[in-house]
Amino acid sequence: MKKKFHLSNLYLILVFAVLYLPILYLIFYSFNAGKTMDKFTGFSWQHYLTLFADTRMISIVINTVIIAVLSALIATLIGTFGALGIQQLRKRSLRNCILSLNNVLMVSPDVIIGASFLIFFTFLGIKLGFGSVLLSHIAFSIPIVVLMVLPKIDEMSQVMIDAAYDLGATKWQALTRVVLPAITPGIFAGYFMAFTYSLDDFAVTFFVTGNGFSTLSVEIYSRARQGIDLEVNALSTLMFVVSLLLVGGYYALTRYNESKKIHRARAAEEEISQ
Amino acid sequence: MAGKVIEFRHVIKSFDETQVLKQIDFEIEAGKFYTLLGPSGCGKTTILRLIAGFLHPTSGEILFNGQTINEVPANQRQVNTVFQDYALFPHLNVEQNVAFGLEIKKVDKKIIKNKISDALKLVQLSGYGQRNIDELSGGQKQRVAIARAIVNEPKVLLLDEPLSALDHKLRKEMQGELRALQQRLGITFIFVTHDQEEALAMSDQIFVMNAGKILQSGTPVDIYDEPINHFVADFIGESNIIPGKMKDDYIVTFDGHDFECVDAGMKTNEAVEIVIRPEDLDIAPANTGKMNVTVDTQLFRGVDYQITAHDVNDNEWKINSIHKTTVGQMVGLNFDPEDIHVMRFGEDEATFDARLEQYE
Repeated sequence: MKKKFHLSNLYLILVFAVLYLPILYLIFYSFNAGKTMDKFTGFSWQHYLTLFADTRMISIVINTVIIAVLSALIATLIGTFGALGIQQLRKRSLRNCILSLNNVLMVSPDVIIGASFLIFFTFLGIKLGFGSVLLSHIAFSIPIVVLMVLPKIDEMSQVMIDAAYDLGATKWQALTRVVLPAITPGIFAGYFMAFTYSLDDFAVTFFVTGNGFSTLSVEIYSRARQGIDLEVNALSTLMFVVSLLLVGGYYALTRYNESKKIHRARAAEEEISQ
Repeated sequence: MAGKVIEFRHVIKSFDETQVLKQIDFEIEAGKFYTLLGPSGCGKTTILRLIAGFLHPTSGEILFNGQTINEVPANQRQVNTVFQDYALFPHLNVEQNVAFGLEIKKVDKKIIKNKISDALKLVQLSGYGQRNIDELSGGQKQRVAIARAIVNEPKVLLLDEPLSALDHKLRKEMQGELRALQQRLGITFIFVTHDQEEALAMSDQIFVMNAGKILQSGTPVDIYDEPINHFVADFIGESNIIPGKMKDDYIVTFDGHDFECVDAGMKTNEAVEIVIRPEDLDIAPANTGKMNVTVDTQLFRGVDYQITAHDVNDNEWKINSIHKTTVGQMVGLNFDPEDIHVMRFGEDEATFDARLEQYE
């Protein structure tokens, strides 16, 4: 029994090592005094200093974040109302048809989506740049949001909406006061999924960036083609730290909420037993 | 006499091809406790949803205080509903749930506060205002749902099988409380249930329904003592239903004997069914009663013994007796003329009432 437990632990450690070693390797060399990842010649902040001095890179980071925040926001809005609309469909076949159309977009290769966007935008005469990237990111994020929100809507009991009408609520009041609060977790999940999808999308973005506008993934790709610059390592390290902080923060927040709930439940029990 | 609050005139409701309600006519008077009673799928919940405004009739008229409300949407009707699974809003606490309707109506904050505390006191949940919904037990959720509805001071409160999710003891308790609440508030309650015991215990008036029709309406005592047909007799309480013949007014024949009864107004020798409730039958020594039966089974139920027996014509008899007997033994049965209730085949409610009117 104890030995088995040991083995499974070893397996876990191995899996995580495989997953994290490349990242740690990359982080390690971001502190290299030398110019390449061939040999570690000594510790230095040098690559971080070049990164902070590189205004082009900084502005690309900002662009990327703005695109991610905006596209996720707009996609969440459209996707949520889309999911609400899909849920309202009475006909089972129509609903399945629309859901399939939604899912096809999820599984179809990014390259094809990117190429079709490029053709579409040039056909319409839309200038490639910030606008085209934003539009395409919104477009490929909507199906994700729909997929995250729809289960929450299905889960919500339909009677609750009846109850809202029964208490005098208009359609709009029922939506804002009952439906939206009930599906908020799904909306948040959809937003963050859309946000991360936008943040690390390369294939679609590559097609529609055009001249003069770039996002992080496209920029790193083009720099990597000329041999990895350790400035990229420094940037990756910073991004890794930021994501660690985000995950840690999320974990702490849920822990806090849960402990609050448990605390209140305990207080309630004590009150009853008295 | 308080007037009619709700009236159904020839209401028919169909979903696609199937007719769920077939010509429903009834009146609801203000301030009474009504129960729609019937097996599942009989259309009782459909009636409730028609009154609430979640459904609209296919044809016919629904009147509220004398005015047609067929097309009035649910959010503009002066009725509130207590739903079967409570339908409380999980993201709001108890107080916010109860306040929901008042806030929608933009009632002054101070007044809302007072009304909430009154309503919570009424359902015995004072001090629970800040609780989350998922911290409440089933019975407490039920009370919150009731408070949320009555705080809006509806003219009519609709209750859709509100007690079905509670355990037996709590259900009994809530039955008493609901009845008391209705009498204190003076609001008309329309209660939907498939539990006949619940209906008998709580109602002023019961509508017994089956297959989209109202079969019989009346007070609990009327319906229990004088069921209109086989279905009602069988559905409400336990009963012995035996085929018989109406020999003359006040004389009915069954099991090869003539018995004195209190029913009249039927054709001579008309085929009828007679009902005798198990608790109206008394066991006597063999050959001393009005008829003899042989005991088949005996079950002790705490308050009494549930006995099944058969007579010479192989009719089965259910008897509830506080005295013990022996399985396989022949015993006599005694009953009074008032214990026999005669039902005609296919008699509708109007003729039934008119006939009863004649000789009572």
